[in-house]
Amino acid sequence: MSEIHPRITEVLTGTFKVPAAEILPEATMDSLEMDSLAVAEFAVIIKETLGIDTDSDALLKGATLAEITAFLDDAATAVGVGR
Amino acid sequence: MSGSAARPVRGPAVAVTGLGMITPAGNDTGSTWDGVCAGVSYARTLPELRGCAVDFACTVDGIDLAAAVGGRTAFRMGRYVKLALIAAREAVADAGLDPAAWDGTRVAVVVGTSSGGSASVADQAVALDRHGPEATSPAGILLTIPNMPAAEIAVSMGATGPSMAPCTACSSGVTALSVARDLLAAGQCDIAVAGATEAMICPLAMTGFARSGVAATAGPGVDPAVLCRPFAADRAGLVMGEGAAIMVLEREKDARARGAVPRALVAGAGSTTDAHHPTSPHPSGAVAQRAVEAALRDAGWQAGDVGHVNAHGTSTPLNDATEAALISRVFPHRPSVTAPKGVLGHCMGAAGAIEAGLTVLTLQHGVVPPIANLDVPAAEFDIDCVTKQPLRRRIDRAVSHSFGFGGHNAVLALQRA
Repeated sequence: MSEIHPRITEVLTGTFKVPAAEILPEATMDSLEMDSLAVAEFAVIIKETLGIDTDSDALLKGATLAEITAFLDDAATAVGVGR
Repeated sequence: MSGSAARPVRGPAVAVTGLGMITPAGNDTGSTWDGVCAGVSYARTLPELRGCAVDFACTVDGIDLAAAVGGRTAFRMGRYVKLALIAAREAVADAGLDPAAWDGTRVAVVVGTSSGGSASVADQAVALDRHGPEATSPAGILLTIPNMPAAEIAVSMGATGPSMAPCTACSSGVTALSVARDLLAAGQCDIAVAGATEAMICPLAMTGFARSGVAATAGPGVDPAVLCRPFAADRAGLVMGEGAAIMVLEREKDARARGAVPRALVAGAGSTTDAHHPTSPHPSGAVAQRAVEAALRDAGWQAGDVGHVNAHGTSTPLNDATEAALISRVFPHRPSVTAPKGVLGHCMGAAGAIEAGLTVLTLQHGVVPPIANLDVPAAEFDIDCVTKQPLRRRIDRAVSHSFGFGGHNAVLALQRA
């Protein structure tokens, strides 16, 4: 499986106290017990730190962490890596 | 007390079966008690208040609150909510109760706060102003509203009985405990998780306190730990604190039937309102005195029965003068007097619950903590302040005073179990 974007891991473990062992590429926000409010907060933190807009309903809710990583990597390429 | 006043019908005896505290003196009940008994202030200069007119306070320290709360939910809780939840868990465990096993329909949660999430309001307002709506938290409202401590405790513990957040400024904790006792007496619940929480130490609130004139200020080179000196002749204002205290209350009969050993009993409660001025107590102290007398009447005590007074004792010139006069009028037999705000600072809405908790421990252990920074009370105060060392004395009946901004007076009568 692919790598997980380091910021995803950082936010999930830091802000949401998700145990690192559960942060796997195939995990989804649902499987990590992140409710809609938590997912919306996650999206705000991603936007504030990476400058990338994510649609918390469409993208984050059903997507695996691998898919979210791919989205962030593509978006970062499009806007210029590292802001 | 008027001998002709009708004696109210007293409800069932209510027991304190569990106690949880998180305060500047310690992150649980035991460490808080040890810290308060040591009689030394926790006030210190805080880097996050740099540049404020009052840049010091007593804070909860040495604990990762989000980690202590755990799970996926800490992000949506303001500091005041986390403090309450941590104290509530300790209280429920102390009571020997298991939220996974209890009948949640019979559990009430009554947790007061004065200011709720005012610190988060300031944070979110700054985020909105500087970075726009997308930078604000989707949990922004939850981080600020005063009912969330009660609500999050209910969620965490599956408590589906009545819940609410009394808000009577510095009396909120005593009001919450009084309301919880009433719910038990009225049969609205079998278990009440009750107390109060406060965490409003932020530049905005500290600036407001400084400008209101009630805060002690430190001159150059002055250690903030010497500033809060309740009942001292040279007292010069309050020092801010924060924290939470939660109790588990049950009808004594029910508690004993399940084998619980009460820490103390809540024997009575009284409350009145000055209806005079937002920050100044009524100079006669007559209305506050009526709250003390109402608590005594509710408990079925005579004033002479009271062996100890936990004073509101804020270290402001006006409160302490009014309160000392009140104590010497109502209790001329000179029961011991302590004022924990010397050690803890003024924990605002949580103060009444924290000090009721300390009074419970005084009754349980036969120890009265000393007032920090006090050698002798001001000469005009005819009260028996405990200073320097803890006083070891069996005490059977005590009262705890809270006199809040807005003129809310609330008094609890607590009895040795």
